[in-house]
Order: sequence, then structure tokens, then C-alpha cells
Amino acid sequence: MTQTGLDSDALYDRVIVERARAPQYAGKLEAPSVQGEGKNPMCGDKTRVDIALDATHIQSVRHTTRGCAICAAAADLMAQQVSGLDVAQAVSLSGRFSAMLVGEGSSTATADTSLGPLEVFQPLRSHKARIRCAELPWIALKEALSHADV
Amino acid sequence: MSHPSMTDTSGLDLTAIRKQFPILSEKVHDRPLVFLDSAASAQKPDAVINAMVHTMHHQYANIHRGLYWLSERATEAYEAVRDQVAGFLNAPSREEIVFTRNSTEAINLVAYSFGSLLTPGQAVVISEMEHHANLVPWQMLRDRMGIELRIAPITDAGDLDMEAFGQLLSDGKVALVAITHMSNVLGTITPARQIADMAHATGALVLFDGSQAVVHHRTDVQALGADFYTFTGHKLYGPTGIGVLWARRALLEDMPPFMGGGDMISTVTFEKSTWANVPHKFEAGTPAIVEAIGLGAAIEWVEKFGFDAIAAHEQALTTYALERLATVPGLNVVGHPKKRGGVISFTMADVHPHDIATLLDRNGIAVRAGHHCAEPLMRRLGLTATARASFGIYTLQEEIDVLADTLVRIREFFV
Repeated sequence: MTQTGLDSDALYDRVIVERARAPQYAGKLEAPSVQGEGKNPMCGDKTRVDIALDATHIQSVRHTTRGCAICAAAADLMAQQVSGLDVAQAVSLSGRFSAMLVGEGSSTATADTSLGPLEVFQPLRSHKARIRCAELPWIALKEALSHADV
Repeated sequence: MSHPSMTDTSGLDLTAIRKQFPILSEKVHDRPLVFLDSAASAQKPDAVINAMVHTMHHQYANIHRGLYWLSERATEAYEAVRDQVAGFLNAPSREEIVFTRNSTEAINLVAYSFGSLLTPGQAVVISEMEHHANLVPWQMLRDRMGIELRIAPITDAGDLDMEAFGQLLSDGKVALVAITHMSNVLGTITPARQIADMAHATGALVLFDGSQAVVHHRTDVQALGADFYTFTGHKLYGPTGIGVLWARRALLEDMPPFMGGGDMISTVTFEKSTWANVPHKFEAGTPAIVEAIGLGAAIEWVEKFGFDAIAAHEQALTTYALERLATVPGLNVVGHPKKRGGVISFTMADVHPHDIATLLDRNGIAVRAGHHCAEPLMRRLGLTATARASFGIYTLQEEIDVLADTLVRIREFFV
């Protein structure tokens, strides 16, 4: 029963592996405007998100993530993609990201192209048990933004 | 790569055994299934599947109350399993065998019924390595009855700290010690006889959660000095939905019922009900008839091979697996208890257990990842999750090779 080669599955795109290994937005902000936390009691994964806001927009985001590669990469790519958005745009992006994960809308290959790099998580559609890994940072983000006074 | 040799002296014909498990010839993601999650639930041999189907085809009816041929046959078959289980555990009498839904329900039964006889000031001792099934019911009892719940620590190697355990017993307030007979995370086989002797010396009773243990070696509740013993059918190659509580008869007779309903009564009036004799007092409602018969078939099937052979096979596999896993870069086996069964938890540097499990699955290998329903143990170990490989009678040395080789490639993928 020798099996050769690792089937890494489309789920583990190189972007995900690289962002998990070398995150670009990891850490804390010195003076965050708002903070949020997401915890997954099923696996112990945890993300904390620090956000600096100006009057209307997200200036900068940092995350502290203890979790699997999917969760860590999702946190890092989320931080990248929401930087510069206003609160409403970030919440809207979160909704479209979740919709992509559960395969809402079109079942064809025409994905929501506005999701950009976040589309690497689309294969999670066939890994239902792992969808929450990618959503965890977004839960932390939404909690943080719920404290925003903008 | 040169692999360590495996000395399997069991004499089991694994090819013939595997042929009896239809699911083992399935493919997963176009790869041969390598099933290494028997500690969560074991696969079922034809003997079990056929016994259950045969019952439903030919001799199914409700039991204990029908006055017709079919019901009498079903009752005989169901009650015959009680005899089998008594023999399986070397229980002194068949009336000491209570059928439950699983081991969790059996422990809840004891926590509720025996627990209702306790008073504030008394204590129950559990250990740091308990499954939530042998933890949460005692917390609920503590909160309901105002008793104290004491936690016996484990050593860093994953053994029960016997000195600390002794100290927890020393004030004589402990009414019950409830401890796993084999850890579902660390594989630790606890020194049950010693635990029982220490408990009895201070006037405490002992319950062993045998969910994992009964699968891997012969169980003799009298030799263990147990007062209560629980196990579940589905880890023993039997069906889900059927478990067992064994308790000494005098204890069962003193304990109030757990659930009320049909079959557990002697007489019922609107003013008052009286209870059936043990064990029926604890079996309210229509039981899992077909599942009990499936459990009987599983026990008969397992006993055909004998626990000497099963234990030899699993010990050889476990020893081999520990050697092979030690060669995987970055892999850390969690716990090195003195005596262990075929359950190995591990972590890998730079790779999260869930990523390990997902990638193993893509390669046809089924393992468990997470906290294994033992969150306090994970905290004690300073971990949030582990991956776990566990072995059964059908596990092959070659499957451990596939696991180890795939783990090497998974690490290479991430690092």
C-alpha cells in the first residue's frame, strides 16, 4: 500500500501556506482604536485583531493568531484587504467572504472577483468543517468594528 | 529508508480479519482507506452487521412484555447479551449488568443515582486526564448536591501521580474515585488495582471508565477491585447506541432509579410507584434491542480471537508506531506513560493538528484532531489540540508506514 506523493489539495494554495508561515500583518498596534477577538472552542484557535481608525476609514490592522494555517492566512489576508476600507465596506466584504465560503449565489465558477486574494479560500466549500477556521478572524474583525464610533 | 522491524506474536490472520470489515476496502479521495481513528469509534465486522440485520429480518419485536413468539425470541436474544457481558467483564452476576446508551450515559447514571446518596462534605475524585464524559457529570453532581470535586494530577509523562492521589484520599471524605482505565488522549493504562486498593483503604468506592480499555485487553472487574465499570459498544466493534454499566449488586439495589418510565417499575398507581428489581430498575423505556444484540455479536467476535492475541498485536503496533513516529522531523508524541494502549497523540512543529488531519485525509488517512473531549487535559499539557492515531485489531504495520511517510511530506509542505 505504498502511496507516493502528497495530495495537498487545492485548499492549501501556496499563498495560504506562505502567509501562515510568514504573516505580513501579525502583531499588535500600539494604540488601537478598537479590538476584537474570535475563539473557536472546538479547536482552541484564537485571533485578536487591533484596528486603528481615522474619522471614517480603517487605517491599519494587526492580528495575533494562534491557529491552523487556514486561520492564520485568513487573518493576514483579511488585514491586508480591509486596510483602507471604511467600516461599512469592511462589513460588506466580510459578508461576501462568508457567502463565497458557503457557496451562496452562483454555483458556477464565476466567483465574486471583487474578493481578490481572498478567493484562495474558495476550496473550503468542500471542507465544511474547516470553514469556521477562515471565518474566525472575520468574527474578531466584526466584533472590533462593532465598537467603532464612526 | 530502513524501517524498524515489528514483532507481532499475535498469530492473528490480519488479511482474513480485514476481509470481515466491508468498509476497509473503501477508497477515500481515490486512495486506500487507512483508518486510524478506532479510539473514536471502531469499524464493524460482518458478524455484527449481519446479527443486527438478521434480528430485524427474522426475530424483531419489543421485549419483556409481548406474549407472542417473536417477542419471546427477541427477549431471549437481548437477555442473552446480558449473560455475555457478565462473562466478558467477569461480573459475579448477570443482574449487575445495566444496558445504557453509551459509557457517557452509564457515568451519568452513577453520578445521578449514586450521587443522590451523597451529602455535602463528601467528595468525588477524578483525574486530570478524564474525558469530558467522566468530568462534566461530576461537576453537575457537585453543583446539585454540594459535594466537593477533587482533581488528581498527572505527571508530565502522563501517568496518574499516585502520591498526590493518595493525599487527596487522606482525609477520608472521598466517597467515590472515578478514573479512566485508559486515557483516550495519552493512551495511559492506569494502575486500576492499586487505585482501587488505595480508595477502598479510605472507605471510597471506585468507578473505572473502561471505554478505551475494554477494547485492548481482558477486563475482570473482580480482579480490578472495581465497584462500578462502564464501557460503550461502538468502540468494541459493536454498534452505537448501546453501552454498559456494571456495578456491584448491593450498590445498584441501594441506588434510586435514574429515569422513570416503562419496564423499570414493579407497580404503578397515581399515588406511588415501586421499582423493578435490578437491573431493570435502571432500564426505563424500550431499550436499544437491535444494538444490544449487535454488542453481543461484537463480544462473541472479539472473544473468538482472544485478548492475548489482540493485546499482543496492538502492543506490537504501538511499539512500532512510536519508533516510526520518532523518525518524523518535528514530531512530538504527547505523553510517555509507563503502560499504554494503542492510542498515540502527537503534535508537529510548525503544523497545526487540523492541517495535519485535513492533509492526511486528502491522502486517505483518517485520524482525529482537536482536544479529544479532554479540554482540561489539553490545558494541563499546555496544548490546544493534538492529532491522534489509534489502532484496532485490523490495523496493519503498513498503515503506520503510510502515516509516518505522509507526515514527513506534510511537514515538508509547510516548512
